[in-house]
Amino acid sequence: MSHMNTKTWCAVSRFFSVVAVALLLVASAHAAAPGITGTSFSLNAGTGYSSQPDGMLIYSWGYGCATGFTPTYAPAQFASLGFCPTMQLPGPTLIVTEGIPFTVTLTNSLPAPAGNTSILFPGATVTFSGGVQGLLTQEAMQTTPVTYTVTYAAPGTHEYYSGTQPDLQIEMGLFGAVVVRPAHPVGTSASAPNCTTTEPGREDFRLASSAYDHPLTCYDREYLFQWSEIDPKIHKQAEDQIKLIQSCPANTALQFSCPTTLNVVTEPYHPNYFLINGRSMPDNMDADYAPNYPNQPYNANPHMHPGELVLVRYMGQGHWQHPFHEHGNHVRILGRDGNLLLSQTGTDPRLLAGRMEFNTDVTPGQADEGIFYWSGKGLGWDIFGHTSTNVGNLPCNPDVNGFYTQTSGATIPTYSGGLFVSGSQNYYEWCADHNHSLEGNPVGQVGGGGPMTLPDPLIMTNGLWYNGTPYLGPDAVLRSRGPSPLPPGSPSQNPTPESGIAFMWHSHNEREITTNDVFPGGMLMMMLVDPYVWNIDETL
Amino acid sequence: MRKPYQICLPILLVCLIPAVASAQAPGSQGGGSFRVQCPTATLLHPGGTGTGNSTPASAEAAYSGPITRTAATDPSGRYTYNPPLTFTDNGGAIKCQQVSGGDGMMTEADGNQTYMFSFGPLSGLQAIQNGQAGTQLPAVFNKSYCDPANANYLSGQPNPYSPCDPSTTDPNGAVGYVTPTATNPSPGADAAAIMNTGVLNGNIPAPLMAFDEDDEFFLTLTNVGMIMRPDLFEQHTVHFHGYPNASSFYDGVPDASLAINIGGSFTYYYLAPDAGTYFWHCHITPPEHLQMGMVGQLYVRPRQNRTPAGTDVYQTSLLQQNDLRTACHPGLPAAGQPGPDILCSAPLPAVHPGFLNATGYKYVYNDGDGSTRYDVDVPIQIHGFDPNFHFVGMTFNPEGFADMKDKYFLLNGRSYPDTVGVAGGPADVLGQLATATNPDPATHAISTADTDTLSRPSQPLPTLITLSASGGPAGTCGTATTCGQRAALRIADLDVQEYQTLSSVGIPMLLVGFNAKILRDEAGNNLYIKTNSITLGGGESLDVILDSTGVAPGTYFLYTPQLDHLSNDAENFGGLMTEVVVTP
Repeated sequence: MSHMNTKTWCAVSRFFSVVAVALLLVASAHAAAPGITGTSFSLNAGTGYSSQPDGMLIYSWGYGCATGFTPTYAPAQFASLGFCPTMQLPGPTLIVTEGIPFTVTLTNSLPAPAGNTSILFPGATVTFSGGVQGLLTQEAMQTTPVTYTVTYAAPGTHEYYSGTQPDLQIEMGLFGAVVVRPAHPVGTSASAPNCTTTEPGREDFRLASSAYDHPLTCYDREYLFQWSEIDPKIHKQAEDQIKLIQSCPANTALQFSCPTTLNVVTEPYHPNYFLINGRSMPDNMDADYAPNYPNQPYNANPHMHPGELVLVRYMGQGHWQHPFHEHGNHVRILGRDGNLLLSQTGTDPRLLAGRMEFNTDVTPGQADEGIFYWSGKGLGWDIFGHTSTNVGNLPCNPDVNGFYTQTSGATIPTYSGGLFVSGSQNYYEWCADHNHSLEGNPVGQVGGGGPMTLPDPLIMTNGLWYNGTPYLGPDAVLRSRGPSPLPPGSPSQNPTPESGIAFMWHSHNEREITTNDVFPGGMLMMMLVDPYVWNIDETL
Repeated sequence: MRKPYQICLPILLVCLIPAVASAQAPGSQGGGSFRVQCPTATLLHPGGTGTGNSTPASAEAAYSGPITRTAATDPSGRYTYNPPLTFTDNGGAIKCQQVSGGDGMMTEADGNQTYMFSFGPLSGLQAIQNGQAGTQLPAVFNKSYCDPANANYLSGQPNPYSPCDPSTTDPNGAVGYVTPTATNPSPGADAAAIMNTGVLNGNIPAPLMAFDEDDEFFLTLTNVGMIMRPDLFEQHTVHFHGYPNASSFYDGVPDASLAINIGGSFTYYYLAPDAGTYFWHCHITPPEHLQMGMVGQLYVRPRQNRTPAGTDVYQTSLLQQNDLRTACHPGLPAAGQPGPDILCSAPLPAVHPGFLNATGYKYVYNDGDGSTRYDVDVPIQIHGFDPNFHFVGMTFNPEGFADMKDKYFLLNGRSYPDTVGVAGGPADVLGQLATATNPDPATHAISTADTDTLSRPSQPLPTLITLSASGGPAGTCGTATTCGQRAALRIADLDVQEYQTLSSVGIPMLLVGFNAKILRDEAGNNLYIKTNSITLGGGESLDVILDSTGVAPGTYFLYTPQLDHLSNDAENFGGLMTEVVVTP
């Protein structure tokens, strides 16, 4: 960052303190796509505050779990960690199954001036009972809940959001996501080997083994990103008017009648807060269900091992479209609003037809999935820093795709108790670059003869996620630069046992990676490609 | 008491680290902390017989598919490999470029001079001023910069190489390169030449980069500082936006990597990836440095351009299936085998008509069917400037992000009518520039006077597109008897605020690529879109072909239907608009 005013300093120092606290607790937080599952949900529409990294608490409305409703958390690892307040931002992610009806009973706990509220489930078949008729759907009054019976005929990712005064209620936070699991997920059959790449002992955080009932939609890891904005003026108006209305009877001596409904001006729209899963950077990189965000349980902090197929579910929950730039590689778009995109003709109509994009447009009201992976293919140098002459050098035999995998003799990594036990540290290495030096001269146990003279480290500035070398994994980092820490400290967000390589995933309408005049902030997260020796525990 | 070696050893190690790190490879020239790197031979491109390109320092070679090659030593012979290294060699060459990271001024279409944080050319200066890419082969790059038409550096200081000796200097050579001699084999970089040229030489767009798939690209970023903002100690980086399977080391994100301080150079290394239209920008405080102008165009030409003349381009696509980097293995996953590459970049076409390559044919992608062939490269960068932000950025104050609002809408750093900016040119329909000398009548570059009163080329790239309706190669336009020229619009949006739409009035657009990938499904069907408008968010790129076949001669327009973007601040007609001139 270049020049800082007081606000910037506060945000930055707060950022570093968050970083320091995070470091004390765990090396780094991870994510997955946590939510609640079942066939019967009792949701509540209530009021609360969202916490923003500039210190603001912003009055919001959100869906949460109704009092007395005990949800079942998924993935199962979150059973003991999850919580579901009566209001959260975004609402609870509902994890359901294709073709199986489920009910959502909605209680309206919004202040009376806010009026009725409701839920729309685009893409689903919905019937309802209770409540009162609204323009777009059946609505819940403060006194009368409504029950929706919802069926998705196909798997995929969807949004749910208020169908009552949407320009106000969705802005205030009444939205959430639905993950519809396939009824017949492609399993572990030999016909779909991508579904079997989960390493033994590695915790499986997937909601299903495939996104659709289709073998080309298998994946190893998944993340859900809901993009939204906040125009704080709207939230302030709503809060002020509600307070005014609620205190109005005390002023009966005055000669005017009390207002009873809100009259919030929602245009012109000028958001200053840009959120992913209800949080701004750096808060979004704290853990799921971190206790310091009582109304914002979901984070945005993707991690992956080389070669893992990572399902990215993303949706626009606000007013604006956002260009979501995934550093590191392209994303193959799978489907849109629960519709898998397949070839219409050609050599095989069962093949994928979604685009490959390095910027995926996040569009309000639209939910998409894509598959991302990172493999280092084609770098031209060995990212593990191997040399041909080292004793104990790891082998790399290419499989039919050129990677070092089980089919070409690699040993699948195994884990126990969250720790790497055995297996090929360089699993999924791109073998064509094996042993190819990057550096012109040998450094430590990294060979020379490569094309590059690296710069004097004293004329460079290091980042918080920089492991201190160009290489991936603690073995390569130690061989390259030794155990001494980087000046002026250490790669605090990517410490030596992890030694991943980090990429920024963010909105490329760059104004949106700020939090109310402060950079960094907003719609920004760091994605880490971790070596296989680092177990990725999504609950941390 | 601790033993002395326990104290001294760490100190010794600390002292050794810079010494080890600054040891140089062949092809690397240091001068203080400035350094340019452009080797003439590498492990991947050693040159000589038995390799994919026998002369990688001076020319490209025809593409003949991957060959497997081994090497027991590096090209310098200093290091031996036992067992020998194995290479998949697809040809390609070595390409180099140097840019400055600093600041400069530009001229808006309403005459307003705007301050920028910016990149400027430190190699390929003559090519860039002429609207071409500044990327050079080592045979050109590894010569000292000296332009016979200009005896001085941009600072006005005399260039000591003038008059220029063509055997050791070149107007497209690297600024700061010093030719080694027998008595001085490691002369270092000339820091004075770099500062005399790089300070205030910012361009918008940043220097154009273009190279070929399989090239090794050595990109040196030299941080000359921002002389207008001596209060800042600003680093800069290069983010090669869209590079597939990137390393974070060369990804340019300062949080995930390292960033070069003022007074130093950092050379980025890329093995040119899949063909397509990418772009590049600084990744330091992106909402600030992108808004302030640190954004450039970059494209990678496909292997298919190197198909031998007379050969079906489908053969090139087939050969690429023998290279594991580009092989697709299409189909459903097979038992016991890894799945297909879900991000495969070179899917074979479902239909291949037997399109024969000819000398000079250019393609946007490795299409295998000739469908992306074109005649004219038109890199177009969409950008927006907020004059308030730029003014505050010049005045030692922190700029506000919350109220950022673009008022100038730019195609290649220019708003209409400057987009057609050819002084006195026939397409100057408004007549405003008929007698102008800026843009330069020869190079078409717009120059801007900087605060030292010297004028430097600041906006080299017009977007005037001229196509001959009869100038295309015969037999490349279906059933039409006369083929028109085709333009490849390589469009990228680096605006930091809004989505941008560009429409074509009169000539249909054919959208063939998106985000540096051909629009083709896994089954080989082309998913091209015939349209008259395209929309991009910040950080997106796409490829549009304009075909002049059958188009009546005349002047056509590309413009934005977002009407408030057709303005130059207070001028209400300008902004995102340019002209397409079709000649008979």
